[in-house]
Amino acid sequence: MSTTWLPCGTYHQSYVKDHGWWQTSFVYGKMTLLVIVLFIIIPVFCGDYLLSIAYKIGYTILAALGVQLLIGYCGQITLGHAAFVAVGSYTSAMLILYVPWPNFLFSAGLVYPISMIAAGFAAGLWSVLFGLPSARVKGFYLIMTTMAAQWITVPLVITQYVSRIGGRGHYFSLPPGTISIGPWAIDSDRKIYYLMIVLVCLCLLAMANLLRSRVGRAWIAIRDNDIAAETLGVNIVWYKLVAFFVAGFIAGIAGSFWISALYFVSPEHFEFFYSLWWVGVILIGGVGSLHGVVFGAMFMVLVEEILRNGLVAMGGWMPELMLVGKFDYFRDSAFGLAIILFLIYEPNGISYRYWQIKNYFNLWPFSY
Amino acid sequence: MVKTNEINAGDILLELEDIHMYFGKVAALAGVSLQVRKGEIHSVIGPNGAGKTVMMNCINGLYRPQRGNIHYRGQRINDIKPYQRAELGMSRTFQKVEVFGGMTVLDNIRLGRHIHFKSGIASGSWYLGKTKREEIKHRTFIEEEIIDLLEIEHIRHTPTGMLPYGLQKRVELGRALALEPELLILDEPLAGLNLEEVEDMARFILDVNEEERWKVTCLLVEHDMGVVMDLSHRVFVLNFGYMIMDGTPEEAQINPEVIKAYLGEEDLYATRG
Repeated sequence: MSTTWLPCGTYHQSYVKDHGWWQTSFVYGKMTLLVIVLFIIIPVFCGDYLLSIAYKIGYTILAALGVQLLIGYCGQITLGHAAFVAVGSYTSAMLILYVPWPNFLFSAGLVYPISMIAAGFAAGLWSVLFGLPSARVKGFYLIMTTMAAQWITVPLVITQYVSRIGGRGHYFSLPPGTISIGPWAIDSDRKIYYLMIVLVCLCLLAMANLLRSRVGRAWIAIRDNDIAAETLGVNIVWYKLVAFFVAGFIAGIAGSFWISALYFVSPEHFEFFYSLWWVGVILIGGVGSLHGVVFGAMFMVLVEEILRNGLVAMGGWMPELMLVGKFDYFRDSAFGLAIILFLIYEPNGISYRYWQIKNYFNLWPFSY
Repeated sequence: MVKTNEINAGDILLELEDIHMYFGKVAALAGVSLQVRKGEIHSVIGPNGAGKTVMMNCINGLYRPQRGNIHYRGQRINDIKPYQRAELGMSRTFQKVEVFGGMTVLDNIRLGRHIHFKSGIASGSWYLGKTKREEIKHRTFIEEEIIDLLEIEHIRHTPTGMLPYGLQKRVELGRALALEPELLILDEPLAGLNLEEVEDMARFILDVNEEERWKVTCLLVEHDMGVVMDLSHRVFVLNFGYMIMDGTPEEAQINPEVIKAYLGEEDLYATRG
């Protein structure tokens, strides 16, 4: 946590103030405006298409948050995060479909929230299981073990075994009305958006708070210098596993949220590509920054949508572009190109640019 | 072996007993015994490659000696992990600065107090009640006891990786002190510092050793003989895994073996400014 910029002549008189999130009235106003935009202006004035893009961004934020925690804050490189999101999705869907819940829980709309929390725990524990090798291996070798998580979970366990349950073919579809929170059935893009924005705010807040308390400091210490951390009393194996648990928990929440948007789950949504995609999100947004997750997710999803629309527009002249699967090639190559360009021209990501711009205006019109 | 005064068993904080540490066939430590008494500054000197840092790593738990016992406050700690030794009140700095470069100075020092913090993920994620009270309480301690002592008020919010070397060393000392250690292992705290910084650092070491508030026992590894002879109560000389002597600084300066192995024949005080 770095210090907030204070206007000239303003000083804090207590540590409580210095620990606050919103330290000046300017920041307070800015954040209130952001809350109004996110909770009122966007859902009221945007159409269904824009809202669907917005909750896709939200889903990407939730999924990439765990990747950011592991890679950006704890230094444990992971390439298997889609597996944990998948575990969350499937846990949530199966709990809703196959558990004989008492009727009052259904009518009170508690089944989906309960399944969401259970999905978090299931994905967290699954993640800890694959985080266990981190006690012994580092860096490149850990990448291999997390990739193993991906290959074992999605193509093997989920596709070959879990998907067969109930003889539904390869995906579970959820009957309308099963996903409801309290009195609200999540059945329109607007409601999905509200669910997304609440979850994203809660998860980002929780993560930001964790990072400035004991646990988060231990994670960052492990990332920066694990030997020094250990001599200062940090049980590094334990804290790595806690990091895997929290990352998995958030992935589970993300997965559980995603079934509310899709109304079905299928292994195709959790392929290895998505694990890479989320690592790309934090590389572009900025490693080791929560702003980076948000900016990266916005960048990736918006670029994807722009590409899609561009391709549709070009379809009139070049019909072969509209063939099924062609878009994926374009998207993948654009994604690769974006990562290369970012690594060369802005290795610190969009969040660093944002920070520079903010600093520039804080000091404006002086240069330092 | 030279021993000037009798050691009272209750005073001994740390005791190494016949420590052997081999890397392959190379003996880094071959039967080293050492007793550190409470409240003293005990220096370990010796030529490069003598095994001083290996010895510190053994005490600290980063290495596990193949033979011999390490006792801390009368308890055998051979099988205890480094983080548990920190909980026993052992803290250290490193020869090559090992600060957490991405964290601010304040966060580095807060991390040093890790064992005194209690909050976990559940309360930490909401930062209310317990966690908040605890953060404020420890912040007060850090500001008043450590940042004030080490005179690093102006850099408390700076990322440590951006600081010059001398200040990083100071932050590292602050981080080690934040643990409120009983035994502080200082592995070359003066290496690479300029004269002024050396004087500051020596003053800090003396302060934490002598002030009633701290009373920290220090185990010091250092090459600056002027400082070593001035600060330490006892000097332990190591030469390629073997102990040459353990005694007062005055004894070390006249011990012919020590002079031959390490100090050299010329004027001892040639290095002093």
